Amino acid sequence: MTHALAIELKDVSKKYITKTGINYAVDNVNLTVEAGAFISLVGPSGCGKTTLLSLIAGLFPPSGGEIRIFGQKVEGPTSQVGYMLQQDYLLPWRNIYQNILLGLEITHTLNRETEEHALYLLEEMGLIDYRLHYPHQLSGGMRQRVALVRTLATEPDILLLDEPFSALDYQTKLRLEDLVSSTLKKHAKTAVLVTHDLSEAVAMSDRVYVFSRNPGRINTVIEIPPVISEKTPLASRNIPEFQTYFQRLWEELDVYEDR
Amino acid sequence: MKIADWLTKGAQSEEHGRYLKALRLEQLKVLATQIVLLVFLLIAWEVSARYGIVDTFIFSQPTRVWQLILERAADGSIYHHTWITLVETIIGFCLGTLFGTLLAILIWASPFFARVLDPYLVVLNSMPKVALGPFFIVTLGTGHLSIIAMAVAIALIITTIVVYGSFQEVDPNYLKLTQTWGATRWQSFRKVVLPASVPSIISTLKVNVGLSWVGVIVGEFLVAKAGLGYLIIYGFQVFNLTLVMTSLLIISLAATVMYQAVAFLEKKLMQNRRI
Repeated sequence: MTHALAIELKDVSKKYITKTGINYAVDNVNLTVEAGAFISLVGPSGCGKTTLLSLIAGLFPPSGGEIRIFGQKVEGPTSQVGYMLQQDYLLPWRNIYQNILLGLEITHTLNRETEEHALYLLEEMGLIDYRLHYPHQLSGGMRQRVALVRTLATEPDILLLDEPFSALDYQTKLRLEDLVSSTLKKHAKTAVLVTHDLSEAVAMSDRVYVFSRNPGRINTVIEIPPVISEKTPLASRNIPEFQTYFQRLWEELDVYEDR
Repeated sequence: MKIADWLTKGAQSEEHGRYLKALRLEQLKVLATQIVLLVFLLIAWEVSARYGIVDTFIFSQPTRVWQLILERAADGSIYHHTWITLVETIIGFCLGTLFGTLLAILIWASPFFARVLDPYLVVLNSMPKVALGPFFIVTLGTGHLSIIAMAVAIALIITTIVVYGSFQEVDPNYLKLTQTWGATRWQSFRKVVLPASVPSIISTLKVNVGLSWVGVIVGEFLVAKAGLGYLIIYGFQVFNLTLVMTSLLIISLAATVMYQAVAFLEKKLMQNRRI
């Protein structure tokens, strides 16, 4: 179980076969993520970033190559991996308390202990007083925090974040970035973030993978130095090096957009 | 004085009070007009019957209907017939909705099965179910069973089509969410798809109230020895159109009450569901 590498992708490709032909969503992707690291995937739309997350989550198998989670080959969804979607997708007919237990119910791990842990996480997010509210009574930022609690409740070691902040207003987004970043660090989680927001990628991650499309491939890997990655996302935006890395990322993406 | 109090009840300020008053006065106006219209129609009917403008043999008249209701209430027969029809309708309504929903679940369970059944559902839906009457009578006899079967037949397929449609409309991202925890198709169904479809299931309930009344009345036309549909056919055969009119009124009343009951149920169930 204790394996230094949380995620390993070896020559991973995924093709979609349709009536009109074959499309490569991702092709020949190699990447590794150390346990506890935070990496981001950026690239133009349609470069297969979300496909890659689904592959890591075991939602469908790759067409070629191999994916390992802590050394174990991925053969389907496991409780070691949690997934956060673009929107919160809270169930409107359940109150907040019932919503955060959904994952535990499905994985048949709901008991006193896990329930208390879920409530503890809710408290950590400052939402314990809202446990009997319904999703429509909460703001977008609060709802996404509930979604985070729901994801963490099953205690995954790896979190896959599929543009989880993109539907929020700017202020809420910055605040939530800090909260997610500190929560993941505190619980020693490994994270993969897909985002369109370059400053978010630089501010949150230890390493950024730049993708190009048709087919989705890794073009550049940019290491973010500790001076940025050790600060909270909000604070890191204020240090001078931040701009340098933002600029580098911008140029990398620009090159592949034009091709 | 009391009415004036009611008009501004719950007001938080004078301005709010004026708003509430205007709102409630409007409500009262609508209700009053509705009642006036009803009374006017009844009087017009009665008067034109008395002065021979309409043929009372065909159209009867309100006082005769009222007299008949009193007579039939006194000997208890009106309760007997209404009760039988009501029970048949409620059973038909419940079974039609239940089987329709179960069939929709079966179809959802297997996409292959769904594709196979698709043309059959289309044909069954467009076919007039009333035409099945003779088969019900031959196979189920001339009792309540045939009548209930008719109500079920009419409500079943449309329920299946509407409910299955709502299953398919559930945002696929919800299914993705449950799959990330390794949910089985059945788990996703129970936790997400079915509860998400409750609003459309309830809206088919409302449609099914009307449909099961059609089914039961037609069923009673064909086979019954008792019930409101039977009274209509009987009244028609002995040219007692007052009886037909009376039965019709009772049916409208009962159907309205049933519809309101379902609307009430909907309100209760939907209290916490807003997106």
